[in-house]
Amino acid sequence: MAKKGLKIASILLAATLLSGSLYGCSNNGNSSNGGSSGNGGDGKDKVVTLKVLHNWNGSTGADVDMTPISKVIEEKTGVRVEWEYTKGSEVEKVNQIFTTEELPDIYTGPAWGGELDVIIKAAKEDQLVDLSDKLDKYPNLAKLVAEENVPPALYEKAINAYDGKKYLLLQNQPATDKDGTDWLYGFYVRKDIAEQVGVDPQSVKTKDDLYNLFKKIKDANLKANGLPVIPFGGFHNGWAVGIGNSMFYPTDYLDKGDGTLEHVFFNKAYEDYTLYYRKLISEGLLDNEAFTQTDPIANEKIKQGRVAVLAAHYPAILDASKDYVKANPGSDYVPVGPLERAGAAADRPADLNIQGNNVTVIPKKSKNVDAALKLLDFLASDEGFLLTRYGVEGVHWEMKDGKPAAKQEYFDKFTADTSGKVRKNEGISIGFESIAGRDQMNSLGSGDIWADQERNAAMDNARKILRPNGTAIISAFNPGDVIAKSPQWEMLKPSMDKIGDAWKEAVYAKSDDAAMKIINELRDQINKTGYPDAIQFVNAELKGKEVVKFGMPN
Amino acid sequence: MTGSPLRKRLWQHKAFYLFLLPGVVWFFIFSYVPLYGVQVAFRDFTFSGGITGSPWAGWKYFEQFFSYYQSTDIIRNTIIISLMKLLIGFPMPIILAILLNEVTKVKFKKTVQTLSYLPHFVSWIVVVTLMQRLLTPAGGPVNEILGWFGVEPIQFLNNTTWFYQIIVGSDIWKGIGWSSIIYMAAIAGVDQQLYEAAKIDGAGRFRQIWHVTLPGIRNIAVILFILSTGSLMSAGFEQLLLLNGPATAAIGSVLDVHVINSGLSQGRLSYAAAVGLFQSLIALILIVTVNRIAKKVSDVSLF
Repeated sequence: MAKKGLKIASILLAATLLSGSLYGCSNNGNSSNGGSSGNGGDGKDKVVTLKVLHNWNGSTGADVDMTPISKVIEEKTGVRVEWEYTKGSEVEKVNQIFTTEELPDIYTGPAWGGELDVIIKAAKEDQLVDLSDKLDKYPNLAKLVAEENVPPALYEKAINAYDGKKYLLLQNQPATDKDGTDWLYGFYVRKDIAEQVGVDPQSVKTKDDLYNLFKKIKDANLKANGLPVIPFGGFHNGWAVGIGNSMFYPTDYLDKGDGTLEHVFFNKAYEDYTLYYRKLISEGLLDNEAFTQTDPIANEKIKQGRVAVLAAHYPAILDASKDYVKANPGSDYVPVGPLERAGAAADRPADLNIQGNNVTVIPKKSKNVDAALKLLDFLASDEGFLLTRYGVEGVHWEMKDGKPAAKQEYFDKFTADTSGKVRKNEGISIGFESIAGRDQMNSLGSGDIWADQERNAAMDNARKILRPNGTAIISAFNPGDVIAKSPQWEMLKPSMDKIGDAWKEAVYAKSDDAAMKIINELRDQINKTGYPDAIQFVNAELKGKEVVKFGMPN
Repeated sequence: MTGSPLRKRLWQHKAFYLFLLPGVVWFFIFSYVPLYGVQVAFRDFTFSGGITGSPWAGWKYFEQFFSYYQSTDIIRNTIIISLMKLLIGFPMPIILAILLNEVTKVKFKKTVQTLSYLPHFVSWIVVVTLMQRLLTPAGGPVNEILGWFGVEPIQFLNNTTWFYQIIVGSDIWKGIGWSSIIYMAAIAGVDQQLYEAAKIDGAGRFRQIWHVTLPGIRNIAVILFILSTGSLMSAGFEQLLLLNGPATAAIGSVLDVHVINSGLSQGRLSYAAAVGLFQSLIALILIVTVNRIAKKVSDVSLF
C-alpha cells in the first residue's frame, strides 16, 4: 500500500514538474501581448492603449501611471500611451524588435547611425506602415516629411527612398532658424582646479596647451574625497572624450588635394589624433576607465569631485555636476578654449549638424494604426508641442505677453528637485517630446522656461566663449551617406564599423608602433572589403555637389 | 500488460520515466526545436523573410568570417582562455571536494560549503562591479592593502598583464563551490570499507586520498572533463563581455562576444549564426574526439 502511495506521489510530482515547465513556456509566449492589451477597439468612448518604444538608452518615465500631461493626451486623442524605454544599446534594441517581431505600436529612436539604418532596412522590406496615402488627413504629420522640412541628404537617404512611399517621420527638426539646439559640445574644466594650477581656461587654444593643462593637473597631485583627481574624463563608454578630433581634422572625408575625397582613417591626421590620445592614456592623463565605465560610475566620479576636465555636451555636464557644485560653490565646470580647429580660418563659425533627432515609425503589426496616427498628429500640433514641452496650460504654465511662461509654483518645485523626477511625474521629459513634431522651442515657445537663471547664464556664457563667430548649420552632402549607397557597402560596412573600436584599442596600445599596427591592419581590411571601389563611387556621385568640409559635434 | 519486452520494461519503470519527461521536454523545446534556425547561417536574413523565407546565400557568411582579418585572433583567444579555464579550473573543485571531505568538524564544513556555493548565484554583472570596486587603483581595498607593503597601485583591470589572471581567477572563484557538489556526491558514494581496508594496510590520509578517493571519483571526473571540452570554443560570454575592453581586446576578444556584437549590434544575423554554427561544430568534434580518447585510455565515456 505504502509502495503504491509512493508511486502515485511520484507520478503526481513528475506531472506537476512537467506541467510547470510547459506552463512556463506558454506563459513566455503570451507575454509579448500582455503589456499592450488595452481596449483594442477604435470606438469613440473606448480608450486605446498603445505601446510606444522610446529607443533612447537611459531614458526613463514617471513614477505614476497617469501624469497630468498623459491625461490631457488621452482626453484629446483617446489614446493611452504605455512607454517602453531602452536600457542598453539602441541599435541592439531596434535590431532585436524587428528580428523577434516583438514590435511596439509606435517606435521612436535616433535619426542617425546604425539605428536609422535598421529602420530604413525595415521600411525597404515593407515592415512599416506606408503613410503616403494617409498624410492628407494628418496635416501636422505631412509637415514632418515635406522636402523643405528635412535636410536634403537625409531626405534622399531615409524619407524619399521607397518609390514614392513614406514610412519615416522626422521629429524635432528645427522649424525655423531660431529653433534647434546647439548642445555646446566641448572641453570643460573645473573653475577651482584651473585656478589651483594657474591656468586661464581661455588661454588653452592648441592641442599642446590642452595637453599641458592635463599635465599640470596631474602634477599637482590633487585629491578629492581622499582619492586622486583624474585630469580628463567623460561619461559612459567614452562619451565624448574623443571630440578633440576636430583639432586634428575638420571632417570625416577629406579632400586629397586633387578634388577627390578619402576617408580620414587613411590620412596622417588620424594617426596624429590616435597617438595624441594614446599619450594621454599612457601618461595617466585620460581616465583609464573612460571607455569601459557606465554612466552611474562616471557620475559618481563627478559627484565626488574627482574629474578635472570633462568632454561632452554642456547640459550633461551641468546636470552631472549640479550636486557637487551646490555643495562646493565655485567648482563649476567652465568652457576651455575655444580650441583650434584643423583647417578652419580663425573667423569661421562653428559648423553644426543641427537636425531632427528622432525618427518615428508605425510597424505594420501595430494594433491600431489610426489611433497611432491620431496621437502623433495631435502631438505634432502647436497645442501638442506646448503640452509636451511645458505641461498643461493654466496648470504648469500660462501665456504672458503672447509667450508661454512658467507658473512660479512649478518652477520652484522643478528647480528644487535635482533628480528630475518631479518634472517627469507631471509628464515632462518622459518621451512625448520625442514625438511632438518639429522643434518650435523658440519660434512657438519661449525657450526652456524651466531652466533656472544660473543654468541659463552658464549656457549663455559658454556660448559666448565657444561660438565667437556664431554657428552655421551644415546643409551640404555628407559622403558618409553616399558611401552607404555604394554596391560594396554590405561587405564594407562591418570593416568601417570597426574604426571606432580599432581607435580605442590603438589608444590603449603599449607603444606607438603597436597602435599604428592596429590602425594599419584595419586599413588593409577596409581596402580588402571594397573601399577603393566604394570611394570611387562616392567621388563620382558627389562630383559638382557641395560636400561637407567642416563639422563639429552636436 | 502485453507487448514487447522493451514496452514491458518501460511500463514497469513508468514513474522513473515520468520523472525524466520534464528534462526531455526541456531539451526538445529549447535545444532541438530551435535547431531549425541554423539554416539562417546559409540564408541572407531579412525581416520580411524571417528564418525560413529569406533567400539562400550558401557559404557566403562562413567565407566572410574566415576572410575577416581578426578571425584567427578571435579563435586563438577563445581557445587560450578556455584552455586556461579548463586546465587550471577543472582540478579546483576536485581539490575542494577532497579537502572538504577530510574536514571532520561538521559546522565548519557546512559553512565553507555554503560560502563556496554562494558566488554561483551571483550574476556576472555584480561580480564584475565588485571587482571594479575592489581592484581599482583609486582607493580600491586590494591596492590599499598592497600599499601597506610598499607596492605601487596596480591597474588590474583594463590591463593585458593581469587579464588572464583576472579572467581565470574570477571564473574559478565563481564556480568552484557549485562544481564541487557533484564530486562531494561521488566521494560520498565511495565504499567506506575501502577506507577501512586501506587503513588496515597502513595507509595514511594522503595514501587514502590517492588510492581510494581519487579512483572512486575518476569516472565522474572523466565524464565532466569530456563535457567541459565541449565548451572549449566558448570562453564565457557574460564574463568576457563585461571584463574585456579596448585595452585588452588583443587577447580578450572571443567568439561568443563576436557573435553577439555582429548579430545584435551590427544586425548581421546570418553572419552571427554562421560563426555560432562553426563554434558548435568544432565543439561537437572536440567532444567526440575526447570521448574516444577517454574510452580508449580509461574505458570511461559518454557514448
